[in-house]
Amino acid sequence: MTLVDALTLVSKNPKPTGADTVAVTLACGFTPLHLQTFLSAELRLRFPAHHVQVATGLYDDIPGTLRDACHQRLDAVAVILEWSDLDARLGIRRLGGWSPEHADSILDHVATRLAELGRLVERVSQTSPLVMSLPTLPLPPLFSAAGWQTSANEARLRAAVWAFAAEVAASPRVRIISDAMLSLMSPSTERLSVKGTWLSGFPYKTSHAARLAELLAGAIQNPQPKKGLITDLDDTLWRGIVGDDGARNVTWDLDHQSQGHGVYQQFLNTLAEEGVLVAVASKNEPRIVDEVFSREDVILSRERVFPLVVNWASKAQSVSRVLELWNVTADAVVFVDDNPTELAEVKEAHPGIECLRFPHDADAIYQLLVQLRDLFGRNAVSNEDMIRRASLRARAIAVEADGDAEGFSESLLEHADAELTLDFEKDPADARALALLNKTNQFNLNGKRMTERAWADFLADRRTFLLTVGYKDRFGPLGKIAVAGGRIADDAVQIDFWVMSCRAFARRIEHQCLRALFERFPGRPIAFDFVETQRNAPLARFLIDISRSTPVPGLRVTAESFEATCPRLFHRVAIREETGI
Amino acid sequence: MNDTRARLSKCFAAVFPDLTEEDIVRASISSVGGWDSLASVTLLSALEEEFALQIDPEELEHLVSFDLILDYLQHEHQLS
Repeated sequence: MTLVDALTLVSKNPKPTGADTVAVTLACGFTPLHLQTFLSAELRLRFPAHHVQVATGLYDDIPGTLRDACHQRLDAVAVILEWSDLDARLGIRRLGGWSPEHADSILDHVATRLAELGRLVERVSQTSPLVMSLPTLPLPPLFSAAGWQTSANEARLRAAVWAFAAEVAASPRVRIISDAMLSLMSPSTERLSVKGTWLSGFPYKTSHAARLAELLAGAIQNPQPKKGLITDLDDTLWRGIVGDDGARNVTWDLDHQSQGHGVYQQFLNTLAEEGVLVAVASKNEPRIVDEVFSREDVILSRERVFPLVVNWASKAQSVSRVLELWNVTADAVVFVDDNPTELAEVKEAHPGIECLRFPHDADAIYQLLVQLRDLFGRNAVSNEDMIRRASLRARAIAVEADGDAEGFSESLLEHADAELTLDFEKDPADARALALLNKTNQFNLNGKRMTERAWADFLADRRTFLLTVGYKDRFGPLGKIAVAGGRIADDAVQIDFWVMSCRAFARRIEHQCLRALFERFPGRPIAFDFVETQRNAPLARFLIDISRSTPVPGLRVTAESFEATCPRLFHRVAIREETGI
Repeated sequence: MNDTRARLSKCFAAVFPDLTEEDIVRASISSVGGWDSLASVTLLSALEEEFALQIDPEELEHLVSFDLILDYLQHEHQLS
């Protein structure tokens, strides 16, 4: 993006309209100038319907800007650290002296400043997500060593910064910009503008400001990771055509120049352990594929893969089968195959799916893994992520055993030994509820999404209620799978949002949620802020079932009419009441 | 309109989005309210990027109108 492009984008910023504002504070020690412009523009690209507001603090006062941010609820705080913010003598705008005798004093001051920033970062991250870049500019030539050598003092400075980064990055609400990615996008020789530093106090070359802003905006947007990966087998998971070469002769190792397939298998193992769904769609004989997966040297173990769809049907049909068993939509899934025709066929049948070709070139294979890491990247692996694969697998097995793809039989439900935990606690530290709201499409009352700031506002509002739902049965736990929220009006319980993971469908959990709300707020009907979306047919069907009418915005249902339509519910229910009111 | 003039107009329009095309060709530091020191630096950066050239900061005090900048680009940097 050029500066003219950025300025033009910023000039078309929509007018502020309350909840539609993306509010970010940019905390940097220098004149923010073009960095503020580029960050605003990149956020405009990512949030086109929102008014983007990037506020800045005082010059040379990152701590002061962070202290102010502690008292605000923002969509993000972006902290840009440069060496001169840690000690002015590490910059070129102030002439505090570069004498060798200053080295210890600089190191001491940097340590003190980093400790102060660490405390402030922790405080800010309690109210707003925080993204941060570590020093991107070169150290000036103040230490005695030649430029080709890393002096002990420089190493100590870098060690102090990385130790600081390791500490603050442990928080799930702090995201540090990748130094390696920035180096790829913005070479270190193309970053410092000496002229800009002295002329206006803006130390970045325009191109560096553009690339840093792009990474910051991506970290602020924090897109949802993909949920599942479907892989081909021949010349993808391994080198060779197993039907021709035999199960013993397909390879994935250095000896056969097929190490790229081994690394790919290892990577899929890792994704599966992080909770990503991994499936196979392959045109092959199931027996011979089983033989490969029973080899002792296979790296991607059979247990990590579900389902294994091996047949002679089209790839598009096999992918459809996987999506059906996972019960996820195509846009949450990546399909990897070496055959461009198969990729095109799958893409045509499932336009939302991300199709990636498994290449033959070694460097390109490595780049594929890097691309996959970006698509499945998450700040931390949660317990919910870990149990997702097991629960989906259990669900699919139960559906197959029950022979009813639409729902479980009465008998299976009765003997599922299901336990629901209905939790009315508003817990700002619980990131799962917001994540569910922002990634669920099918059982979704209105498609409404919330920023972290809007979520925090909702939780802080004493007039609102929140219901999160956990579930487990004899097939295993599903974790937290539903969240509903709203407010109590004079004449009704208003539900503003309600989502449920597709993993939890057909268990009558939605009925139990409504029953709990009627019992908690007796004597009032429930009013649903229903909006039809392209994907929320499952929720619309549920509303039709309980209201016997076509759902409309503001649809009301009374406890009596709900109970008249409610099927038998077999769950054991535990209710956690809200505390702190 | 020649290429340099059009590209210069584009830079002005980005830095001063409230100006009309007619305002831009008549723009000067005394006629444009928002033309302060930060706007000068932004305009300088936009020009350097658009025309792939380096402008000496000392020139800034002379580059105070659309016409003067156009003249500077055409004569100092031989842009037509």
